[in-house]
Amino acid sequence: MQFLNQLYALSKRNVILRYKHSVVGFLWGFIKPLIYLLIFIVIFSSQFSSVNNYVLYATSGILFWFFFSNIVSQGVQSIIQSSGIIKSVNVSPILFPLAEVLTELFNLLLALMVYFVVMHWFGIQYTFQLLWILPILFIFSIFSFSIALILAALNVYFRDIGILWNTIQPAIFYLTPIAYTEELIPPRFSYVIKLNPIYYYIKLFRYPLYESKAPDFHIFAVCSIISLVTLMVSLFIFNRLKNQFITAI
Amino acid sequence: MSLLLDLNNVNVRYRTNHAGIHSMKDLLTSFANPFQTTLILKDISFQLQKGQSMGILGRNGSGKSTLLRAIAGIIKPSKGSLKSFGTIAPILALGAGLELELTGYENIQLLLSLYGRKVTKEAINEIASFSELDDATLNQATKCYSSGMLARLTFSISFSHHCDIYIIDEVLAVGDMGFQTKCIDKINELKKQGKSIIFVSHFPDEVVKICDQAILLEKGVLIHKGTSEEVCQHYKELF
Repeated sequence: MQFLNQLYALSKRNVILRYKHSVVGFLWGFIKPLIYLLIFIVIFSSQFSSVNNYVLYATSGILFWFFFSNIVSQGVQSIIQSSGIIKSVNVSPILFPLAEVLTELFNLLLALMVYFVVMHWFGIQYTFQLLWILPILFIFSIFSFSIALILAALNVYFRDIGILWNTIQPAIFYLTPIAYTEELIPPRFSYVIKLNPIYYYIKLFRYPLYESKAPDFHIFAVCSIISLVTLMVSLFIFNRLKNQFITAI
Repeated sequence: MSLLLDLNNVNVRYRTNHAGIHSMKDLLTSFANPFQTTLILKDISFQLQKGQSMGILGRNGSGKSTLLRAIAGIIKPSKGSLKSFGTIAPILALGAGLELELTGYENIQLLLSLYGRKVTKEAINEIASFSELDDATLNQATKCYSSGMLARLTFSISFSHHCDIYIIDEVLAVGDMGFQTKCIDKINELKKQGKSIIFVSHFPDEVVKICDQAILLEKGVLIHKGTSEEVCQHYKELF
C-alpha cells in the first residue's frame, strides 16, 4: 500500500515536472506523434499509395513507439535525476523507473482518446476488438519497463548508457516497420527486423487498431514470453546493482 | 529504559570514484578493478537508549552523514549489525529530497507520500504553519528559496512525523534567530515526550545544550564516546 502511494506521488511529480513551464502542456503527448505523422505523410504516402489507410497504419505504430521510447529515455535518467531523494529518503529505487511507466501510460491514454476520435475520418472501425489493446499494452509496458530498468541501473555507473540510448534510438525506430510496411524490406534482410522485439509488439497493436481483428495468438504468446524473460533478467540485474547506487549518484 | 539503536562493529563501504568511472574511457584506462571500494566507516559500535539524545561530532568528511544514512536505513552496512527498535524520522539535511522545480506545497505532498504518510489537509497545514512561510512563498518553486527558507521547509516536514528517533544534520545554522529558537524549543519538547534525537553539528555548545551523549568520529573511526561535555572537549582539541 505504501509502495503504491509512493509510486503515485512520484508519477504525479513526473507529470507536473514535465509540463511545468509549457504552454500546451499535456497536448504535447498528442502533438509529438502528430508532427512525425505529418512528416511521414509528406515523405512516404505517395510511395505507399498501395497501403490502405496509410494514416491509420502509421499512427498505430508511431503512438506505441513513442510510448516505448519515452519510457526508456525518461527511465534511463530517472535514478540519477532523483539522487536527492535517494540520498535522503529510504525508498526502493525501482519506484523511479516504474513511475516513468505510469506517467507514460497516463500520457498515452490522453493521446489515445484524441486519436480514437480523429481516426474516425481515417477509417478506424469501432469494434470490441479494440479492447485487445489493453492486454497488449500490458505486456508491452512490462517489456518497456524492463529495458528502462536495465539501462537505468547501468546508467548510474556508466553515464554513457544514456547517451548511447539517445544515439541508437533513431536506428531502432527506422529498423521497425512503423512508417513503412514490412514488404518493403528485401527478403534477404527480413531477418533483421525479425530480431527486433519491438516489431512484434507493433504488429500486435495493428491487429485491433488497423485490421480490426483479434491478434494472432502465436505472436501474442511470443510477446508475452519476451516480456516475462526480459522482466526477470532486468530485475536480476537491477537487484544486483541497486545497493551501491547511493555511492555513485 | 529500552534500547532504541544498537550498532555493532558497523562497516560501510563505498565504491571509490577516483575521478568517477562515468565513462567507458575511464573503465578502459583504469586497469585496476573499477569497482574498488573504500571503507568509510570502520567498526562503529554504540547504543542509544530511548529518550537519550546523541550528538555526532567530527571534521568534514569524517563519515558523519554516512553514519546517519546507515542509521536511517538508506545505505546497508557491509559488515556488522545495525538494529533499530523504533521508527526513524527522515534525515533532516539542508534541502534534502526537495525537488527544486516543484513548489513548496507540491514538495510537502511528495515528501509526505514518500515517507509513507497520509497526505491530508491537516498535515499540510501543520507543516506550513510551523515553517512560518506564507502561502505565496509555498506556491513558488523551491529553487527560488533562500537557504534559510529551505531549512524551514525541510525542518518542518521532518518534524511533522511522529517517530522515536529524529535525525538532524546541521540545519540549525542557516535559519534566522527566531526560527532557531523555535527549533530548539521543538527539540526540547520532543525530548520531554521521551523521543530521541541524533544531532550533527559543528558547534560544540549546541551539542552540549541538546544532547547528553556524544560520539566523535575521525576518518571513519569512532575515537571518543561519552557524555557530550567530554566529547566536545576532545572535539575542540582536534583543531
